[in-house]
Amino acid sequence: MPGPKQELGTGISQAEMPCSGSVRKRALPGESWAAAGTSGQGITLLPLAKIEELLKEVTLKETKKKKIDAFLHEINSLLSAIPETPETELTDQAWLPEGVKVPFLQVPFSVKGRFRFLSPAELKVVGSYLLGTCIKPEINVDVAVTMPREIFQDKDNLNQRYHRKRALYLAHIAQHLSKEKLFGSVKFAYMNSNHLKPILLLRPQGKDEKMVTVRLHACPAPGLFKPSRFYPSKNNVRTAWFMEQSTPKEGAPEPPTPHYNNSIICDTVLLSHLHFLSSAAADFPGMKDGLALLKVWLNQRQLSKGLGCFSGFLVSMLVAYLLMKRKIVKMMSGYQVLRSTLQFLATTDLSVMGISLAKDVDASLPVLDDFHQAFEVVFVDPSGLVNLCADMTASKYHQVQFEAKRSMEILDDRTVDGFQVLLMTTKPMLRAFDHVFHLKHVSKLQGACKKMQLLNELMDRGGNYVAAALPFVVSLLARGLAGGALLVTHSLPQISEWPIDAEPPKHKDVGPLTFGLLFVPEFAAGTLEKGPQADHPEALDFRTFWGEKSELRRFQDGSICEAVVWQADTVCQKRLIPEQIVRHLLKLHMDIPESSICYTGALLESVIRTGQEASGTGEEAMVSVVFPPIPMKPIYSFHTRIRTKHLLLPSEEKPCPAYIAPLKIICHMEGSGQWPQDKEAIKRIKAAFHLQLAELLQQQHQLVCRPAVTHTDVYKDGYVFRLQVAYHREPLILKEVVTPEGMLKYQDTEESRQLELETLHLPYLTSSLHGLQQQHPAFGSTCRLAKRWVSAQLLSDNISEECVDLLVAFLFLHPAPFTPPSSPQVGFLRFLDLLATFDWKNNPLIVNLNAGLTDADLTEIKNKFVAARSRLPIMFIATPKDQWSSMWTQERPSAQILQRLLVLASESLRALEEQLMDPLNSQDVKMVFRPPLDFYDVLIHLNPNQIPRHLESVDRPLKSFSRGVVKNSTAVKILFPVVDYDPVQCYLQELRDAFSDLALFFYDKHGGEVIAVLWKPLSFQPQPFKVSSMKGRMVTTLNNELVCIPNVEAILEDFEVLGEGLVKSIEARTEKWTI
Amino acid sequence: DSLSRLFARCGCVQSVDICEKPGEKKEKLTSKGGGFQVAYVVFRKPAGVQAAKALSREGPLLISTESHPVKTGISKWIASYAASVVDQEELKAEVDAYMQDYDKKIAEEEAKAAKEEGVPDEDGWVKVTRKGRKPGLPRTEAANLRVLEREKRKRARKELLNFYAWQHRETKREHIAQLRKKFEEDKQRIALMRAQRKFRPY
Repeated sequence: MPGPKQELGTGISQAEMPCSGSVRKRALPGESWAAAGTSGQGITLLPLAKIEELLKEVTLKETKKKKIDAFLHEINSLLSAIPETPETELTDQAWLPEGVKVPFLQVPFSVKGRFRFLSPAELKVVGSYLLGTCIKPEINVDVAVTMPREIFQDKDNLNQRYHRKRALYLAHIAQHLSKEKLFGSVKFAYMNSNHLKPILLLRPQGKDEKMVTVRLHACPAPGLFKPSRFYPSKNNVRTAWFMEQSTPKEGAPEPPTPHYNNSIICDTVLLSHLHFLSSAAADFPGMKDGLALLKVWLNQRQLSKGLGCFSGFLVSMLVAYLLMKRKIVKMMSGYQVLRSTLQFLATTDLSVMGISLAKDVDASLPVLDDFHQAFEVVFVDPSGLVNLCADMTASKYHQVQFEAKRSMEILDDRTVDGFQVLLMTTKPMLRAFDHVFHLKHVSKLQGACKKMQLLNELMDRGGNYVAAALPFVVSLLARGLAGGALLVTHSLPQISEWPIDAEPPKHKDVGPLTFGLLFVPEFAAGTLEKGPQADHPEALDFRTFWGEKSELRRFQDGSICEAVVWQADTVCQKRLIPEQIVRHLLKLHMDIPESSICYTGALLESVIRTGQEASGTGEEAMVSVVFPPIPMKPIYSFHTRIRTKHLLLPSEEKPCPAYIAPLKIICHMEGSGQWPQDKEAIKRIKAAFHLQLAELLQQQHQLVCRPAVTHTDVYKDGYVFRLQVAYHREPLILKEVVTPEGMLKYQDTEESRQLELETLHLPYLTSSLHGLQQQHPAFGSTCRLAKRWVSAQLLSDNISEECVDLLVAFLFLHPAPFTPPSSPQVGFLRFLDLLATFDWKNNPLIVNLNAGLTDADLTEIKNKFVAARSRLPIMFIATPKDQWSSMWTQERPSAQILQRLLVLASESLRALEEQLMDPLNSQDVKMVFRPPLDFYDVLIHLNPNQIPRHLESVDRPLKSFSRGVVKNSTAVKILFPVVDYDPVQCYLQELRDAFSDLALFFYDKHGGEVIAVLWKPLSFQPQPFKVSSMKGRMVTTLNNELVCIPNVEAILEDFEVLGEGLVKSIEARTEKWTI
Repeated sequence: DSLSRLFARCGCVQSVDICEKPGEKKEKLTSKGGGFQVAYVVFRKPAGVQAAKALSREGPLLISTESHPVKTGISKWIASYAASVVDQEELKAEVDAYMQDYDKKIAEEEAKAAKEEGVPDEDGWVKVTRKGRKPGLPRTEAANLRVLEREKRKRARKELLNFYAWQHRETKREHIAQLRKKFEEDKQRIALMRAQRKFRPY
């Protein structure tokens, strides 16, 4: 393995590897994967081995190959036995029996020419099977069936005559093969969903049906057509024929039909492509591996299927091109082939600078510029005639390029597990793009074609209005969204295969078309798009583009410009400006009604209706203040109801007041030797501080305050801030233990840990997360969605909020292979995916906040994690300030809860994605926020009257009880609202205190109406009588022995008594257990 | 309270101790009132115990009665919320009083320590404190560790590592052994991942 060093860049330095050269060489190829999962000191075989394993997984096994070969031989003999037919007119298809339909859309129907079936002149296996580069999951074997010369007449290149003949030929074969017992299924399909190119799919009988698909391509005899007829500037479809006019219009030049030409010419070069590729792959073992990796890469990005895809064949040709240009040498390994190809894709824009495989420059052949005029993306094959990327749109290529760039970044980043991220992670559109919208009815594009006068394109594409209009739609959107969008792309139209007795699918059968938008993070910033100055010539262009939305405005610098202003008041609405743009532009230029656009950018946001985006305001007067939680909760203010003395108290008769969550502020006392060194004394000192603070705030800032021993509540503008004084030495003092020898030792106690968490780590974490929020505006909303989901699944008490924060932070800090989410919805989807797929058992989740961890730290954490796995919490999250203890997940979640969370996450993700990808159904995205209750043993229904956060529930109650409305009073004399009073939480606390060893309690703290109870199975086993374990049990006799079993009836009664006034009813689901 | 009222019928109740577990003889009263607890009822006279034992046959005793209801549910939480509201004046007075006491106590202790400074005890030892003219090392764990660490470093500096040929050979051999070990580990990890189907891309 000589000299691939320059490829691999900075890896392991010489100093680290003083030993044998052989080890070093072997480690090289996978070195850049080495980042994750390695064991520290550099050399490891792990990455390389991973690639090998993957290749083993996807390539075909020898035994299967033999079966396939046998199958192919049988097909061969069958094909040559098909009877011939007499010659008939092309339009006379009566000779075809009932059971088979022509796999071609014959529009317009009438066409000249005659057809008869003759046995194929030649049968050849072409494509990836012979090269050994075909990979699972879809093993396709392409067989080229050469139609003999006698079938064709002159001018068969015109007006789809060739296509009709090809289709009839296939139909006849299909009809005969379908009678054979050998095949499990005989079906038609469009090659890459291009309706000009039907193929016949044959699958073997029985359990091998899934194993292989043989695709029959009918192709013309070599030398049948003159190549010069198919230059991209030539016309082969007559307008008069296409429009079904009898006489051609005089004088009007016929437009070129490059796509049509391409669809014929590419049939003629199937064999030569095979030869070309096999010569490239000769003595080049790395090519096979590299192609397999590249195909996996493409598959994971959903780029390899559909009309205009970046197919496996295309990527093979690209590798061959790079080999020709000596960007790749035959000594390279599979990984290096992958890397070089991605590098090339990342740096070369084929939509601007096409490439050609043609070696000898023949003056008669069309030049690249001709191709560029006809096609959006240009990659010319060795014959110099075929554009391999004919159907690809520029935007699709840009997406490929974008992905390649991103992947190169990931490969160069040693902190990411490139293998996992690039090859093992799928990137479905919904999770990859910030906003996704669907065009529900593609037939609307017909109108668009009419409006944009795309007759020539339609003719060229054989009437496929989707393919004709798509490039225009995408470029329109790209221009409209130029300000905020990083990437505008579309899903590839796909037509599935169909049985031979069915009519071929129409263009509208591609289903809804999906568009993905990727934004720069700041896209939600502005509502105004500034155009050119009014007197400039571009102004007119701007006006026509934006239509009546464009208006003249005078700007602050005195200029008068055209501008477009969008209506958006809140941040949430600003995020949806792209929706307004998309709808407006499609309506204006494409005649696509708003009703057929289904925009799924922010469907989820209704779940977290925020009254106000809260932030720490109005506390400028305080010095050295750390704001803890970036306020995550919707906050409602309170209106006075009952007065007692100088403040408000909840009362029994009235519904309980709306919940006000206090926002904590921690003030650190200055370090000083004057402060007492005793726990109790510090408590008093702090109380004194709280009193003093309250007094001062009241006097100097006219704020309403309410001091208490542990804190001071301050009311300002509808928010309540909870001021807490902290003393940095206090946790230390709590830890102090004096040993019998008189030595001072520090020992963690429960109390000290709690205090440390609250006063030291939480503020630090919060400020880091706040920084993240500044960088990624979608962070806060994503957190809220995630937390809302967790609590909607009744699990919020079993997983700490900080843990959810960190999980979401991970999505933003380590988004690979995606980009950091710019909309809450995509962030939430990825959160679910992370939960569902992360391997908590074998991997630590490292959240590198503020990039505080170096490479060495990362590997150290991973190694120590592996060594100490059994002692660490089930969910291990490491941050720069907390590398070893994972303090936020120490106590919870437990393994069972985590398991449940994973199941719920993957189910929710599946349900949600299904809903979001299916625009035709009604989209009820709130479904994933409704917990399944059938799983629990007892349900305690609560009285909505007494649930203070009832309004926050997912399905907002139609009418709720008046709990007061937002009142931003600036009046000096106002009553202090009820703060932090939630009877449900009190109730839960009591329940857990009493019955925690018998049952688990689950509750949605955001206005849930049900407390779900799950018995612990272990505690239901009869236990021997013991005085200490009589809690909630009763004595019975079992086999003449005294044992205790839980006294369920009494417990249920206790539930009711404890929650008097709050509990509406208790529903015991006795079908699962008996009393 | 309600318990002593309840058992009053059996005889004069002296006190009621409530703890979390039976047998715990700690003198602290549980501050959090949740969950199941155990109560010890101490009677003035032994006869009370006898009477209480006889009680069990007469059916359950009711704690919450019309005349003395035990608050549960909403009413209890409202009461506890109301109780959490403190009177500023009272709190202030309490804090001031405590701090004065505390200051006095500290001052006394200091005065005592100052008096004992440098005075040998009955065995003739003098206690070294931080206050004196020559403050000694503080007796903390951290300080001890620091001293140990310094000793260790001193010793390590004296040792020669690459001096003898066998030392050199040894390190080399160890290195190779380590590489081998890692190779084996990696193989195992791969096998594990394969078992978990970590290599199925889709």
